[in-house]
Amino acid sequence: MAFLNMFNKEKERPTAATADDRLSLVLSYQRSDIDERKLKKFQSRLVELCDEFGYDVVGQVEIRPQSRDWDNMTVLNASIPVRLRGK
Amino acid sequence: MKHDSVAITVTSGKGGVGKSTTVASVGLALAKLGRKVCVMDTDIGLRKLDLMLGLENRIVYDLVDVVEGTSKLRQSLVRHKEFEHLALLPAAQTRYKEEITPEQVKQIVDELRHEFEFILIDSPAGIEGGFRNAIAPADRAVLVVNPEIPSVRDSDRVIGLLESANLDKIDLVVNRVQPGMVRDGDMLSVERVQNHLAINLLGIVPEDRRIVRSSNTGEPVVLDDKSMAGCAFNNIARRLNGERVPFLELEEPSLIHRIKRIFHIA
Repeated sequence: MAFLNMFNKEKERPTAATADDRLSLVLSYQRSDIDERKLKKFQSRLVELCDEFGYDVVGQVEIRPQSRDWDNMTVLNASIPVRLRGK
Repeated sequence: MKHDSVAITVTSGKGGVGKSTTVASVGLALAKLGRKVCVMDTDIGLRKLDLMLGLENRIVYDLVDVVEGTSKLRQSLVRHKEFEHLALLPAAQTRYKEEITPEQVKQIVDELRHEFEFILIDSPAGIEGGFRNAIAPADRAVLVVNPEIPSVRDSDRVIGLLESANLDKIDLVVNRVQPGMVRDGDMLSVERVQNHLAINLLGIVPEDRRIVRSSNTGEPVVLDDKSMAGCAFNNIARRLNGERVPFLELEEPSLIHRIKRIFHIA
């Protein structure tokens, strides 16, 4: 059984597909100095908001802060996979 | 020609990226160019520069002795026998970083400026007290980075700390580059590292097995004509000396190119 479970194990998803993207992400987090707990709270508020507007969140909500070099601004990119309720 | 003295702190944040190798190699290369150089080890408790330069048996006094007044600065300097322009100010091996202050290091470096044109300061890993000691007297900094995410992230943090300490002149050395791995997408390219960190590129040093041998023998790779890393460190020294030197072509030639070369058609 343990042998079968070995194949069944859920793998940790990488945060980005390439080393370069991962580095961008890592540096963005570091530079924006965003509190992880705050980000989690923000994530659950987004789920609530989707619910309020009639959308079901059907996958992992991802929020990625990115630093924008030209104006030294942090941009929060949210990816929320949703389905319209009742469809 | 009389040159002003410049104090350069070689730092990284992450350990094991090649700071001491860079200080020993570039220091010796600058001395070979005829410049008066003092390499200063501020990694108290974990000194390395003495080994890198093969001077470990000649240490009598160290940096902490100078601070405490046990010895005079010139008594603590270990002069290289073969390269008379090069001297080492060693760190203490059995003391702690907290025993000296940034102000004391600054005073010592100010004294060194009277004799030496280049003072290369080897910073300890980390961003604690030892790091602050190492950056306090610096006019500029050289950041040594390996093309891997942990190293780049630490370096990005160090850049922030250097800038907040009003050290704006920061140069980048990308060390241990493996062109084959970069080509296969398994290693970050020098260009990407530089883009992310957004500082001036001073040197690109390839991975080289001769480095291991050199740190074991105490003969820096800049003395080895066959070493690509040695050549890269010599180039860094020439750039610090004000020369315009192109970066090394690290890409290994393809099989076809090598065959063409054998038949003298490439």
